[in-house]
Amino acid sequence: MSPHEPVRGDFLIIGGGAAGCLAAVRARELNPDLEVVVLEKAHLSRSGAAGRGMDALNNVVVPGVGTVEEYIEAVEIMADGVFEPTVSRVIGQRSFGILKRLEDWGLDFPRGEDGGYIVNQFHPKGRFLVEMRGELKKIVAARTLEAGARVFNRHVALRLIKEGPSIAGAAALDLKSGLIRAFLAPAVLLAAGGAARIGLPNTGYLHGTFDCPWCNGEAHWLGYQAGARLTGFEYTGCSSMTRDFNGPGLSTFIRHGAWLVNGLGERFMERYDERLERAPAGVRMKAMREEINAGRGPVAFSFSHLPPETIELIESGIFEAERPTMRDYFRAKGIDLKRQPVEVVTSEVYLCGGHGLAGLVGDAWGQTSVPGLFAAGDCLANPYGFLPGAMALGEAAAERVVELNRPRPGGGAAAGVLEELEKAAARHRRGGLAVPVRDFEYKFRRLVNEYVAPPKSGPKLQRFLDETESLVRDQDDLPAGEPHELMKVFEAKAGLFCARLAARASLFRTESRFGLYHQRVDFPEKDDAGWRTRVIISPGPDGPVLAKEKS
Amino acid sequence: MNLAIDLDCCTGCGACVEYCPGHVLALDDQGRPFEKHPDDCWYCGVCQVECPAECIEVVFPYLIR
Repeated sequence: MSPHEPVRGDFLIIGGGAAGCLAAVRARELNPDLEVVVLEKAHLSRSGAAGRGMDALNNVVVPGVGTVEEYIEAVEIMADGVFEPTVSRVIGQRSFGILKRLEDWGLDFPRGEDGGYIVNQFHPKGRFLVEMRGELKKIVAARTLEAGARVFNRHVALRLIKEGPSIAGAAALDLKSGLIRAFLAPAVLLAAGGAARIGLPNTGYLHGTFDCPWCNGEAHWLGYQAGARLTGFEYTGCSSMTRDFNGPGLSTFIRHGAWLVNGLGERFMERYDERLERAPAGVRMKAMREEINAGRGPVAFSFSHLPPETIELIESGIFEAERPTMRDYFRAKGIDLKRQPVEVVTSEVYLCGGHGLAGLVGDAWGQTSVPGLFAAGDCLANPYGFLPGAMALGEAAAERVVELNRPRPGGGAAAGVLEELEKAAARHRRGGLAVPVRDFEYKFRRLVNEYVAPPKSGPKLQRFLDETESLVRDQDDLPAGEPHELMKVFEAKAGLFCARLAARASLFRTESRFGLYHQRVDFPEKDDAGWRTRVIISPGPDGPVLAKEKS
Repeated sequence: MNLAIDLDCCTGCGACVEYCPGHVLALDDQGRPFEKHPDDCWYCGVCQVECPAECIEVVFPYLIR
């Protein structure tokens, strides 16, 4: 087949992480004749936020341990009441099935003394975290290939293609050849992750982020351009992160009972919230920030009160299942969890549907308002859905795609989209701005830290929008001589788009909520009567339209 | 640079290039891996665990070491 010919299929999946892979497997299970195509920016075996590994399934309703209703209640507390339960209900209902599927595929779920799964508490109430070991993504990727999905590695989706009101596919850049090609299908799943590179880490490293840095809001941008709605962008999340190292630990430390202590050795959460370390993330982060601002830092997770076997379980989780380089880092710094606390800092702000509230709006199948367009994983607003949430909505979307069985598009719209993208790529090759994309990205992320990251205020947020207008004008002239650079330009544009929406949504919500995450100094009180509702962002003829969700 | 690649031990199989989630690595004219886009590294260690000959070690930059 000529590389200029479009690839045709029945179900196009953009992003081969956990959500995309489970969608591919489920679709082929239900209909082995369905042609499923996966566009993966990296390599399927190692892509996505869980590409290196994961030491737990963060939210599983294990029969006998919890119920779906208890799970929904826990998520509503974490979402500070700004919550639409449809997607969370699906996650709760499907989560144990996901666990059994992974166990069947060869993932290891270690057993506790009672012979059952090891289930711990991370949420403000209820126990939903199940300990897991094994090479998660390699196994999931192998099953995806076995299921017969057609995978295109190193392909970056640049634009969705529509025919009339409906989705008809996507145009994608092949990083190896530099060619831009059309992939046509009557159903498309956006599963390309969150937006990690919004704020700037205090290390100054553009990729030294808490969340997977290779996902930067491209799915949000693609979906929005096609007409899909977004929500939760004022929930500018951040996390406690091991000082100078972007490795895991947060949920691992908390679920196994680590304490947050300040420089005076005090378990400071006692002063802020009776749920202590298991308070909602924004409350915990606000407390951490206050301790540091009051000069009571450094803040650290402390383990010395835990029995040695618990510390060994923590170590096997983060060092073996999730991130071997963290062992190397701790070794280089001389950190021994049994003896020393691990200093943590507040990470840069990010937008992530599976770690917070920001993402595309979808129904119980992750279906957006655009016919044929679905979303799953960290690009979907699936509050604190984490890894099981991605997998559950991937499966659900696949079931709906099979059921709808939409006819294949004619493909007439592809040529125009390709021509437009080729023109844009040629303009980037000319690079009239003569500023490296790194500098462009650094600039808007520095401005995010100054004006969008909490504490927020109207004047600061407006200043960000004014200041970044020139960046929006400049972005189409950023230089990109080779495919990798073109990908970086695309990621930077998507990140800037998301950051500006975060500023708009933060301006719109005239109250304070979500602990640190939406702390407005000019509206310091929480206003349940006026604002216990989601903010929906819709594409309008003159730009984004923000509105409270109608209940 | 974030990686120490022992080129005496490397067989040039290209697994590190293939699997790196950040598209950081490439093979040079002689088929040896190098960090083409070092700024895009997340220190995730996929290259390290995927190298069948165990020739790669993640080296943290001086600023955060």
